Amino acid sequence: MSATAATPSAAIPGLGRRIGSLRKERRWALITAYISLVIAAIVMLAPPLYMLLTSLKTSAEISNPVGTPWIVRHPTLENYWALISDPMFRGFFFNSLKVTVCVVVLTMVISVLAAFSLARMKFFGSQVLATGVFLTYLVPDTLLFIPLYQIVGAVGLLNSTWGLVLVYPTLTVPFCTWIMIGYFASIPKELDEAALIDGANWMQMLTKIFIPVALPGIIAATIFAFTVSWAAFVYPTAFITRPDEMPLTIGVVSQLIRGDTFAWGQLMAGALLAALPPVVVYAFLMDYYIAGLTAGATKG
Amino acid sequence: MAGNRIGRRGMLRSGAGVVAAGALGAPMVHAQGTGGTVRIAFWDHWVPGGNDALKQLCAKWGEQNRVNVQLDFINTTGNQLQLTAAAQAQSRNGHDAISLTPWDVGAYADQLEPVDDVIERLIGKYGPINPIAEYLAKHGGKWRGVPATSGTQTKPACVRYDLFEQHAGIDIRAMWPAEGKPGPGADAWNWDTFLKAAEACHKANVPFGLPMGQFSDAVDWVGALFLSYGAQITDEKGNPTIKGNDKLKQVLDYAVRLSKFLPNDVWAWDDASNNRALISGRSALVFNPPSAWAVAKRDAPQVAEKCWTVPMPAGPAGRFLAYLPFTTGVWAFGKNKAATKALLEFLGQRESAEFTTNTSGGYDIPPFASMADFPVWTTQGPPPGTIYNYPLKPHHQAKYSIAYSPAPAELASQMYVQALNTKVIARVAQGGESADQAMGWLEREINNMRRG
Amino acid sequence: MALDATTVTAAGPAAAPPRTGVTLHRIARRRSTIAFLMALPLIAVIAGLVAWPAGYAIYLSTLNRRMTSFIGLDNFQILLESETFRMVIWQSCIFAISAVVLKALLGFWLAHMLHHIPTKGQRIWRGLLLLPWVVPPALSTLGWWWMFDPSYSSLNWLLNAVGAPSVPWLGEPGWARASVIIVNVWAGTPFFMIMYLAALKSVPDQLYEAAAIDGATGWQGLRYVTLPMMRNIISITVLFSLIVTFANYDIVRVLTNGGPRDLTHVFASYAFQVGVLSGNIPRGAAVSLFMFPLLAVVAFFILRGVNQRNREMA
Repeated sequence: MSATAATPSAAIPGLGRRIGSLRKERRWALITAYISLVIAAIVMLAPPLYMLLTSLKTSAEISNPVGTPWIVRHPTLENYWALISDPMFRGFFFNSLKVTVCVVVLTMVISVLAAFSLARMKFFGSQVLATGVFLTYLVPDTLLFIPLYQIVGAVGLLNSTWGLVLVYPTLTVPFCTWIMIGYFASIPKELDEAALIDGANWMQMLTKIFIPVALPGIIAATIFAFTVSWAAFVYPTAFITRPDEMPLTIGVVSQLIRGDTFAWGQLMAGALLAALPPVVVYAFLMDYYIAGLTAGATKG
Repeated sequence: MAGNRIGRRGMLRSGAGVVAAGALGAPMVHAQGTGGTVRIAFWDHWVPGGNDALKQLCAKWGEQNRVNVQLDFINTTGNQLQLTAAAQAQSRNGHDAISLTPWDVGAYADQLEPVDDVIERLIGKYGPINPIAEYLAKHGGKWRGVPATSGTQTKPACVRYDLFEQHAGIDIRAMWPAEGKPGPGADAWNWDTFLKAAEACHKANVPFGLPMGQFSDAVDWVGALFLSYGAQITDEKGNPTIKGNDKLKQVLDYAVRLSKFLPNDVWAWDDASNNRALISGRSALVFNPPSAWAVAKRDAPQVAEKCWTVPMPAGPAGRFLAYLPFTTGVWAFGKNKAATKALLEFLGQRESAEFTTNTSGGYDIPPFASMADFPVWTTQGPPPGTIYNYPLKPHHQAKYSIAYSPAPAELASQMYVQALNTKVIARVAQGGESADQAMGWLEREINNMRRG
Repeated sequence: MALDATTVTAAGPAAAPPRTGVTLHRIARRRSTIAFLMALPLIAVIAGLVAWPAGYAIYLSTLNRRMTSFIGLDNFQILLESETFRMVIWQSCIFAISAVVLKALLGFWLAHMLHHIPTKGQRIWRGLLLLPWVVPPALSTLGWWWMFDPSYSSLNWLLNAVGAPSVPWLGEPGWARASVIIVNVWAGTPFFMIMYLAALKSVPDQLYEAAAIDGATGWQGLRYVTLPMMRNIISITVLFSLIVTFANYDIVRVLTNGGPRDLTHVFASYAFQVGVLSGNIPRGAAVSLFMFPLLAVVAFFILRGVNQRNREMA
């Protein structure tokens, strides 16, 4: 979508006298733009950069407050190595992966089916349900974690990654359904009528026509579900206390912050490693995601 | 001895980092027999390698008794251990036994198996358990848990003796030498002397690193300070004793004056901030177990060799030592209670306790006064004898203290989590309220906790 | 959550034109059954994991601490009488409003700047500036926490390097509140930027050309062309972010844990402290429920906005 926007300055030819001052204005605008962006980039990237620097330092260097903390004097990969060779940390990673994959699959199945049914087929109360989906999307996880704590406890899934698989869909399903409704609604009606006349049933219509056509939307929704389940924090904080069942976010925060000692190098290395998968996904699929998000927003 | 060797190896391995030192999930001991399985959740030790003692002891016991022992080590960062206990108490399902923080024993007393038989045999062998551990573990005349060695800590002063001598003019090593008697000036080691020293060190830009936030280090030392002024905020029924409480006003006034000489952000310090203050060399004194010193030994040896641990200062009502005991409680819903109790009894033996203490580099404090003589506290260094005075010894003429005693456990545990004692100080010192306003707030807050 | 649901036409399910005819009628009947079955998992999630817990939360909030007896609205009353909780209400509002306003302004500014530079370079800048939003907030907050650390603050080092005094980032209430807001703004601005950038791109260039020919300055172009065109997306983004920010938990939990003196607690962190940590589940549930009225108001405005826009577009 970025390719469609033409540079505005190219679009004002032949305006005679005004053009000189306009060109000057444009140049200033461009300079201001670049200055703002550079400053913003410095601010935005400073914390991750400092985390990276810290993760490359030894404990002795971190604990020595002499000189600037913004350079690494004796770089070491020891912190990363300690984490990667640590079964507990690998366990966090595996737990995160397991929960995230399960939740993403579950979410996509639920929301694609539901979105198709809500966007294309009607049943009693489907309007209310569509509104309900949107409203659920507005319910934050912090509102319901206490009753869910009781409920998850009652079904015996406290301290289990399966408890997380059970509750994360509340975070992912509404928004993904919402995105998918938007995408499906934009597919021309003629397509399904033609398919119906050809004798396709609803399931075939969904798999043969809707899913392929709405693939960008599905990718966007998948990334969303992935990000949300990977980064979820409130539920695991409340529901998981055993190290061997913890996902990464809470594992890093609760196991690497030792109440009394000094593990900043490892802590930062752990945080960066944990943040890596979403960053990698974005690096490759950013455009899909942004398109999905903003499409959801601009379509309402 | 063997314990010492392992202890040192644990400390050495800590160079590779906290996690690598083995704070891992459930190590399992497969035994041949059919004594069943015992699952215990212990506090995940802050001293690198500190869990190894329990792992080895439980493995040994499991082999001897043909029982599978599964251990989980759970951290208190973010109150994970407390949350686990709460979740298990509620779902009546989980480990067979669990490490409980001081006030939680009382909070879950009706769901914990009495262990009087175990305690009786241990007391018969080693003499009385210290009164605070007893107060916290004994409810309705029954022991609801076995006071633990692993993780149990006190928070005496860890002093940079060089800075102390230079700026405050006190030779702290002479005052509290590494031998069984106090040195010259020890009787003047009270909160007033402490205040003067705090002022001098503040001027010299090495202020005392005393946390005033909402974490246990802060709550514990302030609790000891309150008690040494005889200031209690509730009676044993939980009724606030705040209105017209002159002792409370006095200690509040003292704490406010003291806080003027502390770094200006102590109000947000956590349990590690004071350690960092010491290790960075920017602080002349912290109240902490020897873990701060031990980490300094690893990361900043030039600081560690100038540290000396001494008792807390005395107040008008005596000398109190901040104490944070863990108690291992056996869940009444556990499936293997007899074996669990036998294991806890084994862990309570002097040999086990000494092994645990050695492995933690002297951090762990056994509940029996008769065990305050382990050689590890004398031999640790540099400087040699630096933690000699870490456990409470008779010549300190001190008592263990727990914040908010004598309140009922259920109320005290809430006051502990919400750190009411440091907040009341902060309201005056940082928030600019009058002592009466802050005390009024404290009373309303306690009443709110008791309602409903 | 039956908030005005009947008056709203939700975005997606544009009502299909009524079909007539006998054969189609049968399909429609079958169709509605299939449709219902397809939506059933969604209904289960919403009913079982949102509606039921919400109802359960209300029930819990009427119990006493030990959950043994019904005490009506006492928990709400006790909370409202507690000055700590009144402070938490106030703080949550201050936090959410100031953070959202800052995010909206900065996001708008950055989107505008990004829109100005040649299209070629936009992608890389966008990628860089999006990073704070991509990293899970609980983890990036750890980095901030370390930068704020009293003994080793790298930010204070920078301040000292330019001759400014050190700042007690998390120790002094004013600064602690500012720190929480700073981190939230840092993490949330990219979202606004992306949304606004998409909106900016949807404004036809001809409108600017026309404005320029009419002699409009850049500012006037912004005021009379850009803002009106973006009104909808701005309001929806702001309202949506208001909800998320208002309910924020991770940042406060990692950075300050509510301290000093509870002066940085927001609803979520206070609910956690009261409900889970202090073991008073009913009162914690009551704290959470206090978020509800505000969320409902915001949700109402969002829905009205969406609705209006749909009507405009139709």
